[in-house]
Amino acid sequence: MTATEHERGTGSTQGTDRSRWLRRRVELVVPVAVLILAVGLGIGTAAMEVPPNTAAPGPRFFPTIVALLLGVLAVAYAISVVRNPRELPEDSRPGELSADLLEDLGRLDATSEIGVVDPEHPRARAAAAARAADAAIVERPGLDWRNLLLLVGALAGFVLVLEPVGWLLSSAALFWTVCRIFGSRRPLFDIGVSALVAGTVQLAFSAGLGLSLPSGIFEGVFAWIS
Amino acid sequence: MDQLTSLLGGFSVALEPINLLWLLIGAVLGTAVGVLPGLGSAMAVALLLPVTFALDPTGAFIMFASIYFGGLFGDSTAGILLNTPGNSSAIATTFEGHRMARDGRAAKALGTSAIGAFIGGTIATTAVVFLAPYLATVASLFGPAEYFALAAFAFVAISSVVAESVVRGLTALGLGLLITLVGIDQASGAQRFTMGAPALFDGISIIVVTLGLLAIGEVLYVGSRIRRERSRTGTLAIGGGSPFLRGAEWRKALPAFLRGTSFGLPFGVIPVGGSEVPTFLAYGTEKRLAQRRRDPDFGTRGAIQGVAGPEAAGNATAGTAMGALLALGLPTSATAAMMLAAFQQYGMQPGPLLFERSADLVWPLIASLFLGLVILLVLNLPFAAVWAKLLVIPRHYLYAGITVVAMLGVYAIASSTLDLWLLLAIGVIGVVMRRFEIPLAPVLIAAILGPLAETELRRALAVSEGDPSVLVGSPITVVLYAVMAAAVAISAVQHLRHARRDARQRVGAR
Repeated sequence: MTATEHERGTGSTQGTDRSRWLRRRVELVVPVAVLILAVGLGIGTAAMEVPPNTAAPGPRFFPTIVALLLGVLAVAYAISVVRNPRELPEDSRPGELSADLLEDLGRLDATSEIGVVDPEHPRARAAAAARAADAAIVERPGLDWRNLLLLVGALAGFVLVLEPVGWLLSSAALFWTVCRIFGSRRPLFDIGVSALVAGTVQLAFSAGLGLSLPSGIFEGVFAWIS
Repeated sequence: MDQLTSLLGGFSVALEPINLLWLLIGAVLGTAVGVLPGLGSAMAVALLLPVTFALDPTGAFIMFASIYFGGLFGDSTAGILLNTPGNSSAIATTFEGHRMARDGRAAKALGTSAIGAFIGGTIATTAVVFLAPYLATVASLFGPAEYFALAAFAFVAISSVVAESVVRGLTALGLGLLITLVGIDQASGAQRFTMGAPALFDGISIIVVTLGLLAIGEVLYVGSRIRRERSRTGTLAIGGGSPFLRGAEWRKALPAFLRGTSFGLPFGVIPVGGSEVPTFLAYGTEKRLAQRRRDPDFGTRGAIQGVAGPEAAGNATAGTAMGALLALGLPTSATAAMMLAAFQQYGMQPGPLLFERSADLVWPLIASLFLGLVILLVLNLPFAAVWAKLLVIPRHYLYAGITVVAMLGVYAIASSTLDLWLLLAIGVIGVVMRRFEIPLAPVLIAAILGPLAETELRRALAVSEGDPSVLVGSPITVVLYAVMAAAVAISAVQHLRHARRDARQRVGAR
């Protein structure tokens, strides 16, 4: 909240440039998605087959409440984004804890404490600028779409091949791929690490705990181990 | 003194060699996951849940007891050494802990934190032993309306009072409730939003939701930013110094340990999302006391009391949260919710009847909480420097490992690839929520308490034949809603006051 007010105070040219208007309201995708969910939930609730002789507040009762709640929230969220536009913080993190609440409870002040609680707090930003040299420096704000898509692709690929190919190979491949995407520079060494991790899990679970992991193409090879 | 007899019986089970082994394995794994940066105690329990699937219930719960506290022992290490608390419950310890570390007293800070965790946890578990049967009696006074009021209290507290933004917090809550609707409605047998997929008839597992939001969401989010930032260089060396406290230090720290514990105890039973509120309360108290006695160390070199108070508060909360879970069936934090998922995995429902029906399981569990605390103190006090070595694991191995273990954990639930697709989808939602600073805790608390809220609400309305006044029909419900209203009012005043002060400061700065 404080960040938005901060922006309103400094930005006086807003609203003239269309792309800038949208960029500061990218967050509108969230209320739109929530609204779609609410409508879908409402349709699903209306179409639900309710078994006969169901007691008064039936299975449709709670979904109706949740659908209404989500619908109202989507509108309120959209209004809040349109009225209080903001540039997204460079390093956003879930707003789990109210900085106001913590400041009061912990008697925090403008020393380094607030920087730990809420690095994007206006007072913390000023302090962070001073010690930017040794902290993690963000070169460009925002998400790295290439890496994000690669990661999602790697995970989806793993889910697709897990059962046909088996745990050992597919989890080793997943480990290796995630290492690469996270910028590991030793691909050959990583192959060894991946095999070690996948093999240890397979041994611990199949032989040690007696749980079955898909053996895939190694069908039969593990039979004598476990 | 029935409890003492039962507890002794519990100890005789927990002290069997095989159970001690599970306890030790749990303590090592729990501490390790807790120490790793970015992983808290809820993640420790969620990630390690599949390990226990093959054990018998007694062994599994004994192992859980030490994983539960192990995560809490470990999670202040990253905060103290790197100034990057792994879990929000460790933030308050970080302030003075990291100052002590920069002053060359890292070993002392880690030692104080381990002792504080031990004292807070031990006092709280003792309280659970003596109070749990009474809590169960109180819980038997609770009807559907009271349970619904408790759930509503937790929803409002976590999404509106504790979270940064009310509209974002409530939206997260709504999403969590939406997740709980999927599956067969138990009261009527109607299929809800399953799209005909038999794998969804049992609903979406809380383990999938937790690992998706916290583990996969974190991996995707960190991965999508990794090329844009220069990583922090190296860890702070622990340096010399003894982790053990001496006479003068004990005289300073002991009152802080006890003050912290007294803040933590009640918050384990109040559903406001875990130990953030009590740890900050403890920190604030120590800070005020330091100002009063004109302590030159507090806020500069780092004062031992500033570590002792919050750390004891955090573990005391975790201890009584376990009591609330066992006796009331009410999870007050994400970690307790994971324990609830573990209970349900074995077909048990914590609540007033648990002590009667599953006494052979509950008392060994409580006994192992004590034993686990002792083992954890031994593992953490002298060997803190060894655990800190985990902080130098390269980030790519850490996140690749989290990914593989999360996939394994979800697949181990029901050997279903649909669960893995859900995990991935929830992980992507987790990235979006992180990007727009939407809190994750309300989703988890709604996913955990949503079914309870729905069942009890419908039960209450069925009894009253649709008359909503039954929801405020008893003194207990009136008190709960009054406290909730007061908390919301205080929070609103707080936000207004801070907004006004910030505005004033900006005008003053210009």
